[in-house]
Formats: sequence, structure tokens, C-alpha cells
Amino acid sequence: MTDPLLETPEFDPASGAEGDTGADTGASEDDKTRPRRRYVIEDDTGFDEVPRKYRRFYRRWAGSRDALAPNEVLCPVCRVVIRSARELRPGDRVYCMPCMSRLTVVVGEGGRLEARVEY
Amino acid sequence: MSGELHARDHASFLAEVHSFEFWFQSVEGYLASHPYGVTPGSELPALSGTERDALAATLSTYCVGEAAALDGASGLIGFAPNRAAKIFLATQAVDEARHLEVMLHRLAELGVDPHADYESRAHASLLAFRDRLMHFVAAKDWEAALFAQNVILESMEFAAFHSHMQTADPRTAEMLAGVLKDERRHMGFGENDLGRMLARSPATRQRLRAIRQELDVLVLSTFEDSLRELGTPASERPEVGRLYLETVARLGFER
Repeated sequence: MTDPLLETPEFDPASGAEGDTGADTGASEDDKTRPRRRYVIEDDTGFDEVPRKYRRFYRRWAGSRDALAPNEVLCPVCRVVIRSARELRPGDRVYCMPCMSRLTVVVGEGGRLEARVEY
Repeated sequence: MSGELHARDHASFLAEVHSFEFWFQSVEGYLASHPYGVTPGSELPALSGTERDALAATLSTYCVGEAAALDGASGLIGFAPNRAAKIFLATQAVDEARHLEVMLHRLAELGVDPHADYESRAHASLLAFRDRLMHFVAAKDWEAALFAQNVILESMEFAAFHSHMQTADPRTAEMLAGVLKDERRHMGFGENDLGRMLARSPATRQRLRAIRQELDVLVLSTFEDSLRELGTPASERPEVGRLYLETVARLGFER
């Protein structure tokens, strides 16, 4: 059975096209040409605030010393770490289900990837 | 599984997260088998008289906030602009009722009569905030009521509960942790709904900015005083307001 949310057949986690917003997000030329890394994300972090089938896409943030992986970004609204099945890049769009926000990945002041709320 | 949540279109995402079914499956994860928000059989912590009085005063203030949010969310359902918002607010009303109930239960464990007037122990500024919120609800002023409740009150509660958890006894901390998980939905709904509305009607921003100037001092003083009573160091108290200030900045309500 196809889950309408999780089984989007047109989505390739290795592709850079899906979810790109086209906005100025600080993406470099290297970001646009280098292949993306893929990640197998498991429901292994104990996150329990969304329905079970979505829990693997999130984990709790452990504070400012919490080093985020290349497929993770912090939600600025509710401070939950959002996880993706692919390496994240500027311009990618992600959802924070615990606070129901749509976010775009951008390059922050310190050069790190951050998420900006898109209403 | 090969699927990716983040590839989904926005409209269907919103339809799902505003649904009663989404709420039910979410709260099941952390509330099932946790009567009154705590692990069954967990020990009642021993508190000194001073600690007990401080906690009772703070929980009483929290109860005023939760009762206000219960009345506010219930009232907002009647004039919400669409069906999805009505359904979401119905789930929020249930959350707020549960918060009030678990906090009254914790007060009873402290030896405080839950049927007694908790308002008499609560912070005066929050009582004033509640009256303004209910005025907006009575006037069916969607933007003002949602801003006061789901942005100002919810984000301040989120920050205050998070800070309180760091120093609270284990039983109170576990209860607050469950409440915090609900608050993420509430403040996210408020910020995102208002953000979409302001994108369509930027002129509303000026009016909400004035409301912010009137109300946020009431909420900030309430939670700063509560944390001081609980012994939170002064250096950590500004952190309580930071999340709220970041939220209003994203919405364009800077002073």
C-alpha cells in the first residue's frame, strides 16, 4: 500500500531538484553540482510527539552543543531537530510536524545550515 | 522505507497536521499509560515547606494560564475562519483541559485543595492578561485573540515550563514535559496561521504590534517572577523571554 505522505514515487533523495525553492538561500555552485549523500533514518531516537510512522524524521535537540548531521536542521519555532533521508542543502524545503511549520534551509550567519519559516 | 516526508505538498501537510486523527496519534505516543501525565508508581518527592509553597504558587499561576487558554481556545472555535482551524482548536481545547487537570492534581498532591481558589495565589499580571484575552474572544477578533493566546501566552508558557523543568522535582518535571509537547503544536499553529494571514494583509501587523506592546509586559513579568520564586538564577531568566522575542521578530512585531 502506498502511504500518500511517505511513499512519493517521484522523489529521489539523491536528487537536488525536489524541494528546491528557487529563493536566495546562499547555495553555492558546488552545492548545486555535487551528488547528495543519502541516509537511512530509523525510528531510534525516542521521539514520541508525532504519529509513529513519522517519528524517524525528528529527534530532540540537546542544546547548543548538539552537533547536527548533514541531513539535519533545527526548527527555530519549536527547537526540534528535523531529519531528512538526504543531505540537506540551501533551498531545500522541510516540514516540522511537531509545530506544523514549513521551513526552507538557508545558510546562516556562521555558515551553518539553518531553517527559515515559510508561512 | 524509502519515502521522504519533506517531499510532500504544503496543502496536504496542513490538512493532516490540523486533523483530529493526527492529534490523537501524536498524544498517544507520550500520554498513553501516564495518568495525570506521570509514570504510574513514581515516588512523590519530599519538599520543604518553602519549596512546597513556591511550587504551589507557581502551579496556581500556571493554572490561570491554562484555564485562560481553555476558555480562549473553546471560544475561538466559534469564529475560526475555516474548518481545519476549528478542528485544530478543538484538539487544543482538549489539551488545555488536560493541562489544567494535571496541574490541579499536582497541587492536590502538594496538599493544596484543588477546589480552592487558585486565582488568589496566582500572579496579578496574568489575571490582567487573561481579561484582555477574553475581551478579544468576546469581540470575535480572530487576529488579536490568536496572537494573544497562541503566540504570546503559548510561547511564554513553553519557555517558562522548559526552564522550570531544569530545576523541578522529578514528578513535576515529567508532568511539565508532557505539557510542553502539546505546547509545540499550539504555538506553531498560532505563528503559522498569523504568518499566512499577515502575508495576505500586511496592514494588520501595525495593530498587532500595538497589542503586543500592551500585553507582553504582563506575560513577561508573570513568568520572570514565577521563576524567581522557584529559585531560577537571574542570569537564566532572560532566556525565558528569548523564544517569545524570536517568535514576534519572525512575524515582524519588533518594537
